[in-house]
Amino acid sequence: MAMHTPGPGEDASRADGAGATGTADGTAVGPDDTAGGPEGGVTGDGGADAREDADAPRGPGAPLWSALGLLVVLALAAATRFLESWVPAAAEGSPLGGFAEAVEYPVYAILLGLLGNLVLSLLGVRDRLAPAFRTEFLIKTGLVLLGSTVLFDVIAQAAGPAVLQALFLVTSVFLFTWWVGGKLGLDDRLRALLASSVSICGVSAAIAAAGAVQARREQLAYTASLVILFAVPSIFLLPWLVGVLGLSTAQAGAWIGGNIDTTAAVAASGAIVGEEALQIASIVKATQNVLMGVVAVLLTAYFAFRVAPAEGGGAVERPGLRTLWDRFPKFVLGFLAASVAATLWSNGPAADPQAGLDTARALRDWFLIAAFTSIGLEFKLGSLREAGWRPIGVFGLATVFNLAVGLLLAVLLFRGFAF
Amino acid sequence: MSETPTTPASTPEPAPPRPRWRIGEDWAATVTGLVLLGLALLGVIPAGLVP
Repeated sequence: MAMHTPGPGEDASRADGAGATGTADGTAVGPDDTAGGPEGGVTGDGGADAREDADAPRGPGAPLWSALGLLVVLALAAATRFLESWVPAAAEGSPLGGFAEAVEYPVYAILLGLLGNLVLSLLGVRDRLAPAFRTEFLIKTGLVLLGSTVLFDVIAQAAGPAVLQALFLVTSVFLFTWWVGGKLGLDDRLRALLASSVSICGVSAAIAAAGAVQARREQLAYTASLVILFAVPSIFLLPWLVGVLGLSTAQAGAWIGGNIDTTAAVAASGAIVGEEALQIASIVKATQNVLMGVVAVLLTAYFAFRVAPAEGGGAVERPGLRTLWDRFPKFVLGFLAASVAATLWSNGPAADPQAGLDTARALRDWFLIAAFTSIGLEFKLGSLREAGWRPIGVFGLATVFNLAVGLLLAVLLFRGFAF
Repeated sequence: MSETPTTPASTPEPAPPRPRWRIGEDWAATVTGLVLLGLALLGVIPAGLVP
């Protein structure tokens, strides 16, 4: 990825004024792009998209490469399904039998994705295939289908604590990150991106915030890279800590859903803990996703009325109901609709309602596995070298704060939660 | 993704023509998920077809 680096922590006017970023790096993500907001088109919501649009292959061969990339994702997903049943059977009776039984499919999927990433990078074809690695689309489709496996009364029961947790957590983590970013001298726009991504939902929130504050493109790239850097180890670390801390499945799901930044990583980590944790983690994450619109409106207002006039600008989009709707994650509506439909269907007159629901669950697993392999396939370490230590420090401190406050809220709000 | 120059002094370039209509990834995932669920419930995707 060719990225010029004025340093994310530099003052925006200095970086821009120097004219050092005359290419795509020197451009802001305009509100009209929806900066990849939910309406941002098929390339809008993926974190990698913000970084890789310029690198994406174009021309007559592009559809062929995309088709090949899709085949890679499907092949890795099929290999994951094979391994999740073959490995425990092969290890049965051996000293590793218990461990092999405990390893859930997201682990295979992400590891295979990372391995595929390495092989494709060595072959020099990874970037050409990358447009097929649609983590956001795959995870959102999987989450809509996940709605069909969550009874609506579970959603209704979890909604109260999930909303409370989201409000407290998003507010406190956002303000803490903003404060730490200020102490370390980060530019206001980068602070907004980091605070949004840590407190809400990773890359999607960063993209929405980038549109709201007209952040520079490289700031979004840094933030997206940091989100992925912290999310991938968290997928494995949090389920381990859940066991160490002895959390219930509901508390584990709430903690995971409130802490890991990207929705796909939340689903992967929740699935490692178990089905019930996956359900609560998804509900909590979906609730946080909804707050993305509110934060985008508040950020837009703050930068329009405070920051832009101070910088002598004023071209920032004014917030309104339209902005709120644009940033609203529509897949949450699909998740709720699927849950209502499945609840009604299971109580309806169909002769064997469970058969259709089982098919939907199998489809859900395929989409989730494909999304998890895409996490591995999309992972790029190289761009992080360009980030500098200050954004990484801010992100790390904010993550620790998020873990602590999120743990407290999950334990308190989901104490006694019963499925 | 279209881009907007941030440097105030720079000459604004004409915005590239945007497609008249396009579906966002969020909506695409929602529609795909619900359609697949409907097909599964109605038996159009037969049980056992998806491993």
